[in-house]
Amino acid sequence: MMVNIKVNGREYKKDIEPRMLLVSFLRDELNLTGTHIGCDTSNCGACTVLMDGKSVKSCTVLAAQANNHEITTIESSDPKLDVIKQSFVEENGLQCGFCTPGMIMQTFYILENSEDADEEYIKKNLRGNLCRCTGYKSIIDSVKKAEERVKGEINVSK
Amino acid sequence: MYLNRFVNGEGKYVDDIKFDNMLYMSIVRSPYAHAKIKKVKGGLNSSELKAYYTGMDHAMREPVLAIDEVNYVGQCVAAVFSENRYESEDLLNSVEVDYEPLDAVSSIDDALKKPAIHDGMKDNILDTEDVGNKFNEKDIDYDIKVSDTLFMDRISANPIETRGIIADYKDNVLHIYASSQSIHRLKGGIMKTLNLKDGEIVVHHVDTGGAFGLKALIFPEYIIAAYASMKYKKPVKWIETRSEHLQAAHAGRGVKADITLYAKKDGKINGLDGTVYLDTGAYFTDDDLVDLGNAMHEVTGPYFIENAHLTGKYVLTNKALNGYYRGAGKPEASRIMERMIDLLADKLKMDIADIRIKNATEKPFKSPLGFDINYPTKPLLEAALKHFDYYNLSKKEKLGISLFILDEDTAPGESCRIIVKNGKVTVYFGGDVSGQGHELFVQEMLSEEFKIDKDLISLDYDDTNTLKDGTGTWGSRSAITHGSVLMKTAEIIKNDVIKKFGKYDKDLLLNNEFNEYYYYKIDYNANSVNFNMVSCNVNDMNSIKIYTYYDLGKVLNLKNVLGSIHGGGLQALGEALSETLRYDEDGQLITNNIADAGLLTADKIPQYNIKIVENNSEFPDKAKGIGESTMIGIPSALARSIELQTGKRVTKFPIDDLSLFNKCME
Repeated sequence: MMVNIKVNGREYKKDIEPRMLLVSFLRDELNLTGTHIGCDTSNCGACTVLMDGKSVKSCTVLAAQANNHEITTIESSDPKLDVIKQSFVEENGLQCGFCTPGMIMQTFYILENSEDADEEYIKKNLRGNLCRCTGYKSIIDSVKKAEERVKGEINVSK
Repeated sequence: MYLNRFVNGEGKYVDDIKFDNMLYMSIVRSPYAHAKIKKVKGGLNSSELKAYYTGMDHAMREPVLAIDEVNYVGQCVAAVFSENRYESEDLLNSVEVDYEPLDAVSSIDDALKKPAIHDGMKDNILDTEDVGNKFNEKDIDYDIKVSDTLFMDRISANPIETRGIIADYKDNVLHIYASSQSIHRLKGGIMKTLNLKDGEIVVHHVDTGGAFGLKALIFPEYIIAAYASMKYKKPVKWIETRSEHLQAAHAGRGVKADITLYAKKDGKINGLDGTVYLDTGAYFTDDDLVDLGNAMHEVTGPYFIENAHLTGKYVLTNKALNGYYRGAGKPEASRIMERMIDLLADKLKMDIADIRIKNATEKPFKSPLGFDINYPTKPLLEAALKHFDYYNLSKKEKLGISLFILDEDTAPGESCRIIVKNGKVTVYFGGDVSGQGHELFVQEMLSEEFKIDKDLISLDYDDTNTLKDGTGTWGSRSAITHGSVLMKTAEIIKNDVIKKFGKYDKDLLLNNEFNEYYYYKIDYNANSVNFNMVSCNVNDMNSIKIYTYYDLGKVLNLKNVLGSIHGGGLQALGEALSETLRYDEDGQLITNNIADAGLLTADKIPQYNIKIVENNSEFPDKAKGIGESTMIGIPSALARSIELQTGKRVTKFPIDDLSLFNKCME
């Protein structure tokens, strides 16, 4: 079947099998390998991307469901995403890096959808993303730092 | 820098690598824990590839592909291949296998009662081993003896990146790309199994998404992929699904112990004996010897106990094979001792700290079980208790404590290559980094040593040509082995500069080319002394407080250290409270996904009170280890804190009592 999926601002028209998962579409069809597969049962969140601004686990979304929708992945050059990435680097919010793209995309979703995400809120909203290396502490610190920066920039622009 | 690559999605993990004409491999696996195979039709099966893959020769090795019988759910029976990932999974249905199910053995206790699972064996004991000085209780001086049985159930390593490999046979050379802790060990394993000569195989290290001991091993799937690539003359990729991981990836822990302590009324322990059992799974693997070896040799831990004897039993079950998991026998040994010493303290109505002080040593000591206590343990214990004001705090909080020795597996050493070219310094280690962030300490140490900017230094991946020899990344060794060989190789490079130009300065280094390889040999393990304390309120998961008093020698990089403590801390809580693999009585795995496996989530993180002491080691970089410390120290201390509140002694891990910590256990 033909699909037309906008990924990171660019439209892709592809003829795919109806059963193809969104994560396979991104990784195998578009070569965007930053989105990872960790569990294939939608438990680990390594495959988290945004679909029309909502966080979804791309291992349990069909590419067909993304037809005529807009997907944002870790490869996006959105400036707010860059702020988050920089915060993860500075706070050492990653070790092996495998869960990182999913964590960062979920952080992007959290910061886009909450005025004032406190630590409890951040933890609650990261529950669907597993990390085996960091114990989450440095990840939560990264999210907080990114949040401060994003807010700071909003205040400056006001 | 790895941090920048990873946040931008530019990591190159094995599944991110694509080659032209590449085949995807899928594995037909046994749905039964124990069955005879009456027929296999289709796929690549053992009628063609009949091989065994362990490093050591042993009568009970696992065949790469099942021969006539299967002995655990998930065992490899046949392999299918397609250029399309989805189609290779479709092809699983094209293989016909007729099974005749047999009775299965699903636990150590089961195995000790039931008939042998393997033909030709009289029971399910694969091997028995004795360590220590066998003593008669009449011959030792004691007033009281306490006995108990402890059990630590199996845990799956569950790195977020599962196992995976690409085998690419071209121009008569087999190229392997793998997520690994040691490409050199992997090379040796594949060469032995497939009878390859040096020069016929090159193993390339790629980004590794976590390993936790598991990725130090060799697996049947890797051999099948290698064989298939040589057969089809095409690249073959195998990426494990999480379900396959839970079923078939070699699992850690699985240790049971019956232990007796003999002590005087004042708490002095004069004897320890008992039996330690390891659930080896269905076949022998080399790692059994390390896991049960550590779990036996290290039991007396930091204490001066002059009489100790243990019998070890390797027990066969119809489960996936035993493997390494962060600590590999060391957490088991420490937990046996720490749980027993708490029991003794209760019987004698002594404080748990006082009884440890009574038994800690003031001088180096080799235990009867063969464990080297190289540093006195009593001074560190006393300093830690004082630092945390234990005696006052224990009146307010329900405290458990744990004193332990971290046996860093430093022997036989490690290799390193440093290349200076085009104004940049590139480092390669023979022990393969599996996501711990070694580049941070490499930059920190070399920028100081060479007096250059950190940005000019990077850690790159080796292959078995860049470094002909190498060991691995495991056993809390990197700070010592990788740090020390880095210092040594840097020294050689500096001497090269001096030899050539009569002096060293950074411009002379960066404006020229240098390339040096060094293998730094270490023939003993360091064995540092550490302490943990844990308190909690059993009604509130977020109340858990972890106190660490770790002697790290010289800290090479604080971010690496904190990453290890916070990451390992939560992993240790998971091990203590929720993580395991559950099987029913037929040997069917009933842990279905990574969430069922009990990994803790971001809302479960504990509070930390971290004290690092830096008593320099005698290694070139003055460091001591850390990687496995949390797994050794935290679970037993938490168990004590819990039992002080519930009044029920904790002898089984995970402590999956549904009344604890509300929602954590549901």
